[in-house]
Amino acid sequence: MSADNGATGVKRRDFLKVLGTGTAATSMLGCGSEQVEKLIPYLVSPDQTVPGVSTYYATTCRECAAGCGVIAETRDGRTIKLEGNPEHPVNRGALCARGQSALQGLYNPDRYRGPMVRRNGTLARVTWEEALQLFATRLAETRSRGGAGNAVFINQHETGSFPAFLDAWLAGFGMPAHLSYDAGAEHAVVAANRQTYGTAWPRLEFKAARLIVSLGADFLDNWGAVVPQQLDFADARADAERAPRLVYVGPRRSLTGLNADQWIACRPGTEIAIARLLAGQSSAEQAAAASGVDARVLGALAAEFTAATPGMVLAGGGGSGGLELALAANALNQSRGNVGVTIKPAEGYLGFERMSVPSELRAVAERMNAGTVSALFVRGANPAFTLPKSVGFREAMAKVPFKVSFSSYPDETSELADLILPDHHPLEQWGDAEPVRGTLSLQQPAMDPVFDTRATSDVLIAVAKRDPAAAARYPLPDYRSWLVSRFPGGAAGLTAALPRALASGTIGGDNVPRPAPAPRVAPAAEQSRGNMYLVVYPHPLLGDGRGANKPWLQEIPDPVTKICWQTVAEMHPATAERMGLENGDHVTIRTSAGSMTLPVLRYLGTQRETIAIATGRGHPHSGRYAKAGFNPLDIVPAYEDRAGGVAYVSTRAEVAKAGGHSNIVTTEGSSRQHGRGIGQAITLAELRTGTEAGQDPGASHAAEVAPQGDAATGAGVAPQGGEHGAPAAGADHGAPAGGSGGHGAPAPGDASHEFLPGLRAPVANDAQGEQGSQRSNDKGMYDPKHWSGMANRRWAMTVDLARCTGCSACVSACYAENNIPTVGADWQHGPVLPGRTGFGANILRSREMAWIRIERYYEGAEDGGADFDTRFVPMMCQHCGNAPCEPVCPVYATYHAPDGLNVQVYNRCVGTRYCSNNCPYKVRYFNWFGYGEPNRAQYAFPEPLNWQLNPDVTVRGKGVMEKCTFCVQRIREAENRAAAEKRPLAADEFTTACAASCPSRAITFGDAADESWSVAQAAKDARAYHVFEELNTYTAVVYLKKISHPGPGAPAPAAGEQH
Amino acid sequence: MNLRSGWLAVPGFISIAVLATMLSAYSGASSSEGFAPEQPVAFPHTVHVDTLKMNCLYCHFSANRSPDPGLPAVGTCMGCHTVIATGKPEIKKLAAYWNKKEAVPWVRIHKLPEYVHFPHMRHVNAGVSCQTCHGDVQKMTTVYQANSLNMGWCVDCHIGQSNPPFRARYDCASCHY
Repeated sequence: MSADNGATGVKRRDFLKVLGTGTAATSMLGCGSEQVEKLIPYLVSPDQTVPGVSTYYATTCRECAAGCGVIAETRDGRTIKLEGNPEHPVNRGALCARGQSALQGLYNPDRYRGPMVRRNGTLARVTWEEALQLFATRLAETRSRGGAGNAVFINQHETGSFPAFLDAWLAGFGMPAHLSYDAGAEHAVVAANRQTYGTAWPRLEFKAARLIVSLGADFLDNWGAVVPQQLDFADARADAERAPRLVYVGPRRSLTGLNADQWIACRPGTEIAIARLLAGQSSAEQAAAASGVDARVLGALAAEFTAATPGMVLAGGGGSGGLELALAANALNQSRGNVGVTIKPAEGYLGFERMSVPSELRAVAERMNAGTVSALFVRGANPAFTLPKSVGFREAMAKVPFKVSFSSYPDETSELADLILPDHHPLEQWGDAEPVRGTLSLQQPAMDPVFDTRATSDVLIAVAKRDPAAAARYPLPDYRSWLVSRFPGGAAGLTAALPRALASGTIGGDNVPRPAPAPRVAPAAEQSRGNMYLVVYPHPLLGDGRGANKPWLQEIPDPVTKICWQTVAEMHPATAERMGLENGDHVTIRTSAGSMTLPVLRYLGTQRETIAIATGRGHPHSGRYAKAGFNPLDIVPAYEDRAGGVAYVSTRAEVAKAGGHSNIVTTEGSSRQHGRGIGQAITLAELRTGTEAGQDPGASHAAEVAPQGDAATGAGVAPQGGEHGAPAAGADHGAPAGGSGGHGAPAPGDASHEFLPGLRAPVANDAQGEQGSQRSNDKGMYDPKHWSGMANRRWAMTVDLARCTGCSACVSACYAENNIPTVGADWQHGPVLPGRTGFGANILRSREMAWIRIERYYEGAEDGGADFDTRFVPMMCQHCGNAPCEPVCPVYATYHAPDGLNVQVYNRCVGTRYCSNNCPYKVRYFNWFGYGEPNRAQYAFPEPLNWQLNPDVTVRGKGVMEKCTFCVQRIREAENRAAAEKRPLAADEFTTACAASCPSRAITFGDAADESWSVAQAAKDARAYHVFEELNTYTAVVYLKKISHPGPGAPAPAAGEQH
Repeated sequence: MNLRSGWLAVPGFISIAVLATMLSAYSGASSSEGFAPEQPVAFPHTVHVDTLKMNCLYCHFSANRSPDPGLPAVGTCMGCHTVIATGKPEIKKLAAYWNKKEAVPWVRIHKLPEYVHFPHMRHVNAGVSCQTCHGDVQKMTTVYQANSLNMGWCVDCHIGQSNPPFRARYDCASCHY
């Protein structure tokens, strides 16, 4: 270590040290990927399956009563994706978010692994043999004591053969027929429909109507057969000239309300007054006095209603006067001649027939309390959670000597059971449904059971076989054989029906509707004293709570409030202001049934005297994800409407500031567009004349930010037609947005005329030819004449905002398809910010990973007063032709592919996040914690949730940026298929996951450079625009403007606030 | 160590480490080329392919119609070996697995990272022989990884360099997604 060595630089020993460490580091890196893996072959190859190639099984969705057809994609024995069955008469290929999430029920990490028996207060695993023996023994004991007639079987409501099979089984043991319970159903509406139309749920012909008045009926979300209603509604609204206007009357603006052209905010329970006004039974003044709505608004509605024929009146909302309201709505339809025109009882949905009402469950609770119930069997339903706590179902259950749960998952009811005989998931078992008259929708297993479960139907047969008297009635080995024996055409008929899972006919046994349960008159609406009305509504995604342990449904923001993982109390901003409440401040809501403290969310769509809370969250015993939030049913008094449904909205509550604060877990930055023109709208009049009056505040952005532009014309009245060719039919780009056109002469590089969707696949500036030579002028694959032909395609997408309802089915489809991790569980946050822990902590730091999100913006009512308009904008990577993210990546991890995709190469990405910083659309998501890495605490797919992962899509690791790929794996799969069949890709041969699922058909995907694809035609629509067109990003996503339908004589809500 | 040599050591360390990493990445040193693990049953490809002239697709049955080449089920082996060469020690091992209803836990040799998608059928149907990537398996008593399977090795072929009749897209998103 002498000084003279310094002159020669590094000494030999130092050099060797450095070299040694470097090599060691390298070899460690090298070894990292060389973990020895095993290749486990089959013992015997299963027939008809090819490893790595999906098999598709058509079956029936059982997530709600509607009975949609699904196609389960099964790869190597595991179901990885659900799609709607295009041939199914109910959902016609679409699938809602809840249907998509059935997979997270199938692979739920908290599912029961096998049968369990309660011993000394705790549940212990037993074998099926022991469990069945115990079941048979206890059943025999109950019968020998003469208790069979007092047994109660509660089944999750469903149509098909199983209910009849179950009743026959029960009758064989001397037990009464089962209760078919659906906590989320609109019982008052079902009762009224049965009374008026003779069917529980008619089909709604939206496109025949001129005016739809919804008196609290949330028909896009939770009210009836949601998917077909959404399909029909979107179709009706997409036909601009003939589109019906939708007026929503209710105390809280639900998803349907946000899609309405007009919202009339009445006090809870006063919808009936407005129905009377429409029927001509009262004056506008009387209705105004009762409902708290301006008499002029009501007068205009009544006049419009009288003028518009045919119309459609729908009721819902779950108040104590629910039956009367539904009957009044039906009477209006009858008197106006709407029945058979817009309301079609003959084509109704059978999913809501033969349903028990909550009052029957309350009666069971009373009987259990009195000790007169000998045995309780529950399958699928969760009455201990879905009934108001004040019904006392939980406490009453303790007095039943023998309680059996057939639930697949732990829940509040099974938690109290003595014996758990876990059912197969619907995707693992046989069954059927009759969703519409004359059509059988088959349910077949898509894969082998995940756990040691058994179909309840098979369990019932097995138990019957153990009883000498009953065995003779069950000669068949299992339920499938029973199903086959009754199927039209027998085994051959079943086999023939399986590929489509559809058959005509009916096997539901007696299809005569069960006598409707006698309505129990609700106790006189003893209104607890309070300063506000409490409105409890079913969560759009979690429903009555059955989806609460599915992380997708917890993480996907509520389409209306954009809240995830949290229960909030919604209040009008003016009311919150008056009470001195900011977003997140705690309030205590006290009713006669109890009190609870929740953070406040200021929501413009709440009536001023109303506080609204969503059900579905706050499960103590339903698994790890379901613990998030609170359950408002804890404070709902046990009142019922005259049909026996729970009265959710008729309670007054004392609301007071509680003095605490929680962060609001939302993915929303701002609910306003601030003139950015993200979600644009056009009125029908403007569309007809082909002009843009420039009244859309969203479209005026360029004029505001571009100093060289003439701001007055930009925001004002400049007619756009002449500049880029008339935006009438056939124009290449349609009407340019108001902003870009407001500058007079088109500026060079202006996206509206430089970029014609689909016709230009921009050439990357850094295209370096075949051999990557920097001196070459060869453009390689970016040359349209290149042998690969890649540059002749441009993958693109159109999103029709006139169709989009914001339901978020696309988001769930994307989660399922693209292995997107959920990040909001309480164990997934890093200890970064104290006080920001618990469910949704990562969301508070904007770490959600959803590649597609639904942005929801309000227009109008900035003063907090009047009606407002809503824009839903599905936002995903725009695959810009001139992408801001690409040039800033220091490692070329993101680049533009010749076929128009903006590609993210995960293995190149080093996580600088420059691309995300430079993305104007904020559609790039950074994987902060390694949500896809099993050995991390933040792992998002605990076994067996990881069985669902799509093997075609890389599971991203920590420190990698990710984003929408336009489902590149589906593009490659289609190309591979076409190559195997030695043919070119056919137009519309495949589509992305979001487009496939969309129940309003808002998304079209394809090759915009090829005229034969639908997307190329859709992009030519006169309503086409690009988001942030002025940034010259040349996006591949084309939005079609929403069409506003202002009321007759009334200014459009958006136009009303132009100053 | 004096101050000057200390200052030199830091950039020296970094640059050498970077060089070594790059050298390793592009030379194939980080690949498992040559990996020849011992298998639970010493299956001789030589006998089956070279001597008996069995087609690769007999056992790797989906290589021409799936991204996954297919791994023969134990039942496929036993289709012949319930009667053929039943006395040999390796066949006895195989039969033992079969009788226990256990799968043979083969050690995986060829493994691409999970961010790479390699559709076998596109290559097989384009006329790329199995040996192009897997080497002369028919001459291997013990199978080993004959090529580096690194990206540069893939791209050489895709751009039509190493195997002139073949060329294919070399866009990143052809394989990485």
